[in-house]
Amino acid sequence: MEKNWKRFAADSDFRNRMERRSEIVFGIRRFFREIGFLEVETPTLVASPGMEPELDPFVTEVIAQDGTRNGVGLITSPEYSLKKLLAAGYERIFEITRGYRNREPWGGLHNPEFTMIEWYRIGADYRAIMEDLEQLVESLVKSLYGRTTVGYQGREIDLSAPWMRLSVDEAFRKYADLDLGEMLDDVERFTQAVRDRGCETGEGDTFDDLFFRLFLRDIEPKLGWDRPVILYDYPHQMASLSRLKPSDPRYAERFEAYVCGLELCNAFSELNDPVEQRRRLEHERQERISQGKNAFPIDEDFIEAVGRMPDAAGIALGVDRLVMLLTDAKSIEDVFFFPAADLFGQRKGD
Amino acid sequence: MADTTVLKKDTFIMFKGVVHQVVDAQHVNPGKGSAFVRTRLRNVQTGRTLDNTFKVSESVDPVELDRSNMQYLYGDDSGFNFMDSSSYEQVCIPKELLGDRGLYLTEGQEVMVLMHDGQPLSVDLPKKLTFKVVEAMPAVKGDSAQGRVTKEVTLETGMKVQVPLFIEEGNRVVVNTESGEYVERAQQ
Repeated sequence: MEKNWKRFAADSDFRNRMERRSEIVFGIRRFFREIGFLEVETPTLVASPGMEPELDPFVTEVIAQDGTRNGVGLITSPEYSLKKLLAAGYERIFEITRGYRNREPWGGLHNPEFTMIEWYRIGADYRAIMEDLEQLVESLVKSLYGRTTVGYQGREIDLSAPWMRLSVDEAFRKYADLDLGEMLDDVERFTQAVRDRGCETGEGDTFDDLFFRLFLRDIEPKLGWDRPVILYDYPHQMASLSRLKPSDPRYAERFEAYVCGLELCNAFSELNDPVEQRRRLEHERQERISQGKNAFPIDEDFIEAVGRMPDAAGIALGVDRLVMLLTDAKSIEDVFFFPAADLFGQRKGD
Repeated sequence: MADTTVLKKDTFIMFKGVVHQVVDAQHVNPGKGSAFVRTRLRNVQTGRTLDNTFKVSESVDPVELDRSNMQYLYGDDSGFNFMDSSSYEQVCIPKELLGDRGLYLTEGQEVMVLMHDGQPLSVDLPKKLTFKVVEAMPAVKGDSAQGRVTKEVTLETGMKVQVPLFIEEGNRVVVNTESGEYVERAQQ
């Protein structure tokens, strides 16, 4: 198959799409500037990239002038740096940056180098971020097309605010006929319930594994086809860097948004308890070691910043996926001039 | 046993003791937690499909396939019929197992038929095949000014493909059988 840059040269549809991509990135900057956010730039080359056991950071070396070698990595997200800025007193910040994740598929919804935006607000929880998200996407679609609807892969969808809110608990009841609340601390019972629904399980499946086996089969494919869906309040085991819900600590204040089969973002009311933060990072570090993956040191600076950070909420949104949605692109490769497969390997059909 | 990277469209695995064709496989990384492969599988005995989510770290059981060189005869309601060139034995692959790849078959064509336990499951197509164009609208002046550089034509098998504007009815074109895309105009 032709390399993308040659396809872009010959095909006006591709060219239009890349012009829209530029409009979208300008539109994001305009939106945040108008509501008083500061754009910041933080490093992509760091000593402690993400600790998530399922992610593979790119690893390299920083060599000092005297020849001292330091093992470093490329960020999987700018989250650590941005939280340090919140601790330093910045109240509303956003960054459009590159994230890097190795060992991911080339194509579909993934590319090892991708563009993301993160934004954070202090003195707010995840509900304020939900509203930012809806307003942002509505403003982008209006400025591109002068209306609030887009066609995506043969479906017409209205992106105007407010989007549908669905808790994870409601989603499991509605689409899988399962009371997740009863399964939260009973993996054996959850395993049986998942099997009862005709879903294969594996030996040693964790809560998260069972959750996703059912979620990916029965729930996610149904989300966001009529209207965008904000799926919120995840089980506490899946809190990641979010804080637990004060009114019901069995759940964490985390949300994701789904539009036409695309998962766009992941957002939290941010955890600001340094003891709990350290516990979760230590746990993830041990998990990495047991999987034989490289385990970077815990970023002590980050732990300190978490302890000083006021109540805050933030989000990571995939810009490439947002461009896909707003330009009716089937694959992430259609919104890159130079997708990974063109750079490093062969595309299907070569 | 093999790892989940073998879960690709049109491969065959043993699942719950029965041979299944992978109809669709999509890698999903929910961001936090393990990565998964979301699949649609077709039971080759019943033809029915089911969805299953595999953990990326899981092992799966690929099916060993025997290959025999056969000649394509014809398609009918039961499926695509082939004949073993040495034994003259005939076999039939149900339509749903071949899917769109049935559109690459022309009468008399030599193909590799993939079998498991004597059951024909699939064909191995050459990477590039040549077909006659049976229906093509002539290019209209102004097409290329509009930015259009391709048009749709119909091939002798009924398959539709996007080709450059200069291709005409009666031309022979080379098509990539993996991507379904036009490669070049064949020598007449």
